[in-house]
Amino acid sequence: MTITSVNFMLFLLVLFLVFYACSVKSRWKVLLAGSVLFYLLAGAKKLFPCIVLTSAAVWYGARRIGALYAEQEEKLKAEGLDRSGKRAIKEQYKSRAKRILMLTLVWCVGILCVSKFAKYAVLYMDRISMAVNGTAPFSALKILVPLGISYYTFSTVGYLLDVYWKRYEPEKSFWRFFLYAIYFPHIIQGPISRYNLLGQELKKELRFDSRRAAFGMELMLWGLFKKLVIADRLNVFVSAVYNGQDQAGSIFLIAMLFDAFQIYTDFSGYTDIVRGVSQIFGVELEQNFNHPFFSKTVPEYWRRWHMSLGSWFKDYVYYPCSVSHWVKQINRKAKNRFSERACRLVAVIFPVYVTWVLTGLWHGTGMTYLCWGIYYGTLITISSAFQPEFRAMTNSLRIRTETFFWQLFRMLRTFCCFMGGRVLTRPGSLHNTKIIIKNILMNLQPMRLFDGTICSFGLGRLPLALIFCSLVVLWVVSMLQERMSVREALEKQNIVIRWVILFAAIFSILIFGVYGRGYDVVAFMYQAY
Amino acid sequence: MEKIIEILSKLKSGVDFHTAERIVTDKIIDSIDIASLITQLEDTFDIEIGMEYMENENFDSAAAIWEMIQELQDE
Repeated sequence: MTITSVNFMLFLLVLFLVFYACSVKSRWKVLLAGSVLFYLLAGAKKLFPCIVLTSAAVWYGARRIGALYAEQEEKLKAEGLDRSGKRAIKEQYKSRAKRILMLTLVWCVGILCVSKFAKYAVLYMDRISMAVNGTAPFSALKILVPLGISYYTFSTVGYLLDVYWKRYEPEKSFWRFFLYAIYFPHIIQGPISRYNLLGQELKKELRFDSRRAAFGMELMLWGLFKKLVIADRLNVFVSAVYNGQDQAGSIFLIAMLFDAFQIYTDFSGYTDIVRGVSQIFGVELEQNFNHPFFSKTVPEYWRRWHMSLGSWFKDYVYYPCSVSHWVKQINRKAKNRFSERACRLVAVIFPVYVTWVLTGLWHGTGMTYLCWGIYYGTLITISSAFQPEFRAMTNSLRIRTETFFWQLFRMLRTFCCFMGGRVLTRPGSLHNTKIIIKNILMNLQPMRLFDGTICSFGLGRLPLALIFCSLVVLWVVSMLQERMSVREALEKQNIVIRWVILFAAIFSILIFGVYGRGYDVVAFMYQAY
Repeated sequence: MEKIIEILSKLKSGVDFHTAERIVTDKIIDSIDIASLITQLEDTFDIEIGMEYMENENFDSAAAIWEMIQELQDE
């Protein structure tokens, strides 16, 4: 059951009716039951215990850590303790809490790694078996991955670490915590919600609010438009180019451009749909995209794209790495030997690369993703470490940095960096990436764009024109969203205009959406993580 | 406090850190600046900044950083 299917809409309707038919106090239980049902219908039923085991381990681990801290506070209140006595107590409890933390982390990350790397284990076992007795018995094994495992593991591990770092108290009720982990709008593709935000949202009184429900439905419509009208249509072209033989460089360039818009409209479309769904039930999910293609630098781009993942890695990988004892030691050694600038570079280089290599491996497990992580680590290090040089360069070239065209240039430059990252992973292997780059540099054939070749990749002139118009709509709406709340502006309009716009949106999705004969609704691109 | 402002000014020139507030929230300094700020604060004030303190509000102004340092020195 995908979230763009009719079955999902029916599921939503039934859940909506049951949810608001129940008393306010028991509505969270309806959401929990609905989320479990959705999980069973959308994923592999046999793997349901995985999410239960991860949630239970994290909930119990956090409770134990919370109990230890409470005990520590009691001991610290005892009279006659000097500073060293208090420090000893704190260290003792900290080490006990750390033991629980590490055990729970090993358990959760272990389940995640097994499900991510099992296919490689099978592959290597088959290779060994082929070499020994000429058979490959393991290839028949079907490796299943629990639905949303990366998302719920990251959400729950974030909660555990926050409790360990005393940012908030642990949750007392397992069922409340389980709802946070399995909440159906965010389980498949995020956002990777923080417990102090989503957990609290799910605890408040969930009452029906017609304005919020209308806003939620409008957001859903916008998400469906992005996914069904733009992303799935672009997918036809992009897949045809990348799955085909050698193409002219100009065709690859158009495919790269379309691929950038496809992944953006696919993933942000999904996020809009689930945020809209959640708003109908009175629960706010975190924003995950903030018009990333308007970013002027790569670090800014990553603050606007998949925001919940970027902020997760910053808080739970980058900062722990930066404050770790041995990174500090390296920094101090560098301080005695190098200049202040070089020290700054040393201070950031290691945590940045660790963070980006792990971000790459989160997205996929092959060499392409490792290179992708190194690519972004390098761009972000350069962008941060060489700021004074860039400033000096723009000054010496007398560039007026406040002009529109300079800002536009910076946006296009960031967009090109993004396309560079995509060309590492989208073609499926580094060999294919090499072919694409080679063709762009040595076999561009720009006339292919005008001789009708472009219409031979699954989309004729009309669908291509439709894509162009849809991207203009996307650009105009995004520009408006940068300046105001479009939904609030729509609310202030005359009722006739409001309904005309809403019907136009509904009919454009029904008429121009990609489904039916000859097309399949394409699985969301971030669903496999 | 003046020491903190001196460190911050070296990190990011052209900002008046005496009056600047929300320096992390408004992206005046980013996570990469914070990483290099930590070592300098630890060495200058002889403290150890643990993950418990790695929250935006503790780095959002010179005053907030000073408050965090005092708290760490009292521990």
